[in-house]
Amino acid sequence: MNEEMEQIIFQIILHGGNGRSSAMEAIAAAKSGDAEEARKKLQDAAEELSKAHHYQTELIQNEAGGEKTEMTLLMVHAQDHLMNAMTVKDMAAEIIELYEKITEQRGASI
Amino acid sequence: MNILLVCAAGMSTSLLVSKMEKSAQEQGKDYTIWAVSGDSVQNHIDKADVLLLGPQVRYMLPQLKKLGESKGVPVDVINTVHYGTCNGAEVLKSAEQLGHVS
Repeated sequence: MNEEMEQIIFQIILHGGNGRSSAMEAIAAAKSGDAEEARKKLQDAAEELSKAHHYQTELIQNEAGGEKTEMTLLMVHAQDHLMNAMTVKDMAAEIIELYEKITEQRGASI
Repeated sequence: MNILLVCAAGMSTSLLVSKMEKSAQEQGKDYTIWAVSGDSVQNHIDKADVLLLGPQVRYMLPQLKKLGESKGVPVDVINTVHYGTCNGAEVLKSAEQLGHVS
């Protein structure tokens, strides 16, 4: 595996990982009742994932153009990170909505 | 110095570990550096002087900071640029700064 490919893989892991962390922090914010912070963290997660996605798209386009990407275990791992992060982000959005609903209902019942 | 790295599964960070080891060796430093998953930190922290988190487990910082405080181990998140470029030398430097070792 060449150095350039290693860098690209690490960018996918980094931004995927950042996205996952922000999504988890968004859930924690919603849990503590800070809806605004939760939304902000979710937005951060989306931006990080789109950066990771950008690197992936580049590789896919290269492959479509005939420039094959060497499949290493590290690359598989990066894809694993990214996919997991995307799932966590989507689930975080749902969980935050639930927390908001709970807060609303509690407010209404008081 | 014993440097413990934490990430989701301990795989990507393993590559960083080998680069940090290489950098330490070049400087003639005999450090122990290893990576574990977030769930196994409990079993490893007693052997560590500093604890560094990969960006993918940054959300665990409040929880691991608390654990670190109870064990007297400083905890921080790896700089994202250093992580993204897999820069072993720089991460080693920040570990030393965190543990007040040079």
